[in-house]
Amino acid sequence: MNDEYLWDKSGPPDPEIEKLERVMGTLRFRAAAPVFPSAEQLAAAHRPAFSSRLWLRRGLAAAFAVTVVASGLGLFWRWKANVQAGWQVSQIAGTPRIQDKLLNATVKLGIGQVIETDGASRAEIEVTEIGRIQIDPETRLRVLKAPSGRSRLALDRGTIHARIWALPGIFTVDTPSARAVDLGCAYTLRVDSNGDGLIRTTMGWVGFQLADREAFIPAGAVCRTHVKTGPGIPYFEDAPETLRSALQVFDSPGSSQEDRAHALQTVLSQSRKQDALSLWHLLSRVDASERSQVYDRFAALVPPPSGVTREGIQALDREMLDRWWNSLDLGNIWLWRHWERSWSEGTQTAK
Amino acid sequence: MIGERKLDHDDSSLVRAARGGDRVAFGQLYDKYAPTVHAILLARVPIDEVDDLVHDVFLRALPRLHMLREPEGFGAWLSAIARNCANDYHRHNPKGLIQELTDDVPEKTAGKGERLDPEAATILAAIRSLPEAYRETLLLRLVEGMTGPEIATRTGLTAGSVRVNLHRGMQQLRQKLTEVRATDTTSKEIAAERWPDGNPGGVTK
Repeated sequence: MNDEYLWDKSGPPDPEIEKLERVMGTLRFRAAAPVFPSAEQLAAAHRPAFSSRLWLRRGLAAAFAVTVVASGLGLFWRWKANVQAGWQVSQIAGTPRIQDKLLNATVKLGIGQVIETDGASRAEIEVTEIGRIQIDPETRLRVLKAPSGRSRLALDRGTIHARIWALPGIFTVDTPSARAVDLGCAYTLRVDSNGDGLIRTTMGWVGFQLADREAFIPAGAVCRTHVKTGPGIPYFEDAPETLRSALQVFDSPGSSQEDRAHALQTVLSQSRKQDALSLWHLLSRVDASERSQVYDRFAALVPPPSGVTREGIQALDREMLDRWWNSLDLGNIWLWRHWERSWSEGTQTAK
Repeated sequence: MIGERKLDHDDSSLVRAARGGDRVAFGQLYDKYAPTVHAILLARVPIDEVDDLVHDVFLRALPRLHMLREPEGFGAWLSAIARNCANDYHRHNPKGLIQELTDDVPEKTAGKGERLDPEAATILAAIRSLPEAYRETLLLRLVEGMTGPEIATRTGLTAGSVRVNLHRGMQQLRQKLTEVRATDTTSKEIAAERWPDGNPGGVTK
């Protein structure tokens, strides 16, 4: 055996190795080159605004990278097959029920089926390629029909803890007041008996949506949602108590105009640099007459990036708002726009 | 420097760029490392699953790029993910490779409708019966056409380890193939003795 030829193809060729190369070369990797998204879609995230949130930036960069892969590699078909595997449900405590049957073994939860827990029971559902969801007591959860390649649950009431490792946008949870769209994250979602909800993100970020109203909740933040009005203003849990209370007043459907105006002033005066998260959302939730005040405070904390103007923001220019959001480094909003569009298209085709 | 781990410093800038969402950098990493991942998987999982799992490996790796402390070690890191991916495959498909190896190999396809060459199938089965370290190295050399130094750079193994794996692996492969051919020849001889008319089932045509 010619060791040098085997090692680096130098020296006289070894006929036997040459034959092996020829025969085995037929198995060589020849998959088509991946198709990557356009440069416009992959516009890089802007300079970070919060230097102390390195961990968060890394997480979000990872989420962005996931999107690059999802779009670029054309792997979506692979997920389509996997997510149809079904939800494996198992009991953690007590006697959860699926429809009218007690859950006492691991079973598959199909489309349209309902799992309910009483005050003493808990359950867990998992799909290998999607993630794991723990179901707290007093919870009602349904599996909904979803566009191909996606997974969709409905939380009618109660609390779930989701840890999702699927691609962003694959997994959603509908509540009576908003849809939670996973963007690569772990979160807790609670819905009360009125249908109002609260989401708390512990890793990555989540999109919350009802019709045209949307909210983005990064790790460390929470967001309330109300029936009819939809997602409220997200805020970081370490925000000052006065600011958090003021935002709750601002969001509450029962608050008067005066209460809301007073709450807005409190938010503006109490907000820290990281509360730009809340200020960005406020820009599109306040009246036009109040928007310039929010702009001023936001701009003082996080200067608008190039191309973002007061006039544009006053007119709620979508592109400028998105660009300013990206400058916060809390998640590339292109990712959301991409999945929002694909969900919309997918929902239409799923019917 | 045979005992030193080979690091690819070109990867460092590509990994950093890919972390920032640079699609060109990501594409370069994919093009450069997909054959390595392919060979690692080919050593472990059924051939029809390999191409899909190559994509899965990159899918797993990219969201974790920020956790890679030494971007120069991307190849070794990705290789480890590929091995884990193969292990996961077997956890969920415990009979996957066994099933393939016990099937009538010439009837298997090489994916996308292409029939797997019987001779390649025989050699692949022989390589898969070797110790793990030899399997990978031989497939990188014989299937993907890499040289030993390239294998070391791509996988993060030392050049010395690769050289040893290639040498010993090739020795064992030759021995296996000799045994297979001897068995095959003997089987044909026995068949010819027992069924000189070439009709082993005794079925009248």
